[in-house]
Amino acid sequence: MSDELKSNISQPPDAGPTASRSTVPIWIILLTLLLLFLGAVYFDRHSGWFDKQVYAPYTSADELASYQPKSGEASMLAHGKAVYETYCGLCHGSDGLGKPAQAPPLAGSEWAAKDITSLARIPLAGLNGPIQVKGRDWNLSMAPMGASLSDADLAAVLTCIRESWGNKNGAVSADEVKAARAAISGHPPAAPNSPK
Amino acid sequence: MKNGALIFLAVFVALGGSWCGFVLAPELQLGGAKQTTILNSSDVYPVGRPGEATQGSSVYRANGCAVCHTEQVRQTGITCEVVLTDAGKTPAAVTKVCVDIGVNMTDRTWPLPLPKTILTGLTKEEADAASGKITTAGGKVEIHIAATGPDIARGWGMRQSVAEDYLYDQPVQLGSLRAGPDLANAGARADANWQLLHLYAPKSVMKGSTMPPFRYLFEVRKIGREPSPDALKLPPEFAPHAGYEVVPTPEAMELAAYLSSLRATAPLYSAPIAP
Repeated sequence: MSDELKSNISQPPDAGPTASRSTVPIWIILLTLLLLFLGAVYFDRHSGWFDKQVYAPYTSADELASYQPKSGEASMLAHGKAVYETYCGLCHGSDGLGKPAQAPPLAGSEWAAKDITSLARIPLAGLNGPIQVKGRDWNLSMAPMGASLSDADLAAVLTCIRESWGNKNGAVSADEVKAARAAISGHPPAAPNSPK
Repeated sequence: MKNGALIFLAVFVALGGSWCGFVLAPELQLGGAKQTTILNSSDVYPVGRPGEATQGSSVYRANGCAVCHTEQVRQTGITCEVVLTDAGKTPAAVTKVCVDIGVNMTDRTWPLPLPKTILTGLTKEEADAASGKITTAGGKVEIHIAATGPDIARGWGMRQSVAEDYLYDQPVQLGSLRAGPDLANAGARADANWQLLHLYAPKSVMKGSTMPPFRYLFEVRKIGREPSPDALKLPPEFAPHAGYEVVPTPEAMELAAYLSSLRATAPLYSAPIAP
């Protein structure tokens, strides 16, 4: 019989196993805190903070926003077309060809090629009296349909008029509409005359 | 029971925590998902599937298609291309800038024909910088944003799948095993007629296909006074005996309609690609 076994026998039979208390080593606490910290940093950089728009491989809402295609002329044209259909299309037509005895055409109209202030004057101030469009005389009146539109909306609809149906006269920015609005404020409705 | 309250509390916290993570958090994040608009357009996305395709979704489910096919495209990266659309009034200046930023100009007809892809594989910052330089020199460029990743390279989609793609699916049949190709854009790759041929005899349109034929979705019957307009136009080795024709059942038509309606190609805010 070994010494070890003897010593076991020598203990009281009802002693039962016991455990002693000891403190958690400080390095485990520090390691846990470090891992938590690194996890939090990783989460902050890659999670997009639970934004429902942000999917991997995008890591944040800002990064996703930077990848949005610039809202170029195409989107302005699409928006302008929608505004056009609401305010202009009823008389001038979806095809920009106008309607006899109701509204002159915009497609190929020399007025669409004029400077922006002259063009913007028509929707902003309305138009009364004779006007020559594409070699034909018109004598009608148009209400200031665009006066209540925002600069951005009016710029979009003017862009639509200048860039649709074969017109190629360039886009109009909201700033240009703002300048035109300031230039003609308080003036009487556009003086009927032919483009020079 | 010893420590009964403590055990109950621990079980409650463990189950409650999982419930919060798997049910509550996704509900808060995506539960309010609704139709969105396609980038640079006022068109809404997604639109509901046609009725036949909605019924086909049940056929898809009943036949266990989701066991071997997924409906989700993954994306691992984004890449930008700079495309020159207009050399402007001073092509020489634009050309000089292009040389400076390292455009490979080997063809003699430079810069024609336009539009011309001049730089690829850029990050957004690099593309913006190059675009700024060329625009300053008087040229016009477009920046194309494309998704990259193994799924994209296999031609399974233009962009990754996002929550909106599944807005009208009930249940959502994402699938998890890819014994066959991903079907998130099946409708963009093939039409309903191809799907019918493929369902009846996969090898008739796809050599080496491992898909089992779903012949019970079709009826082989004697040609009556006139051949059915829906009868499949099969190649000779798959065609039935002379005088017989293969006609899809309504289930097959619905399934083909559903597969043709799988089309997640629209660029969205959450998955921008351009153009």
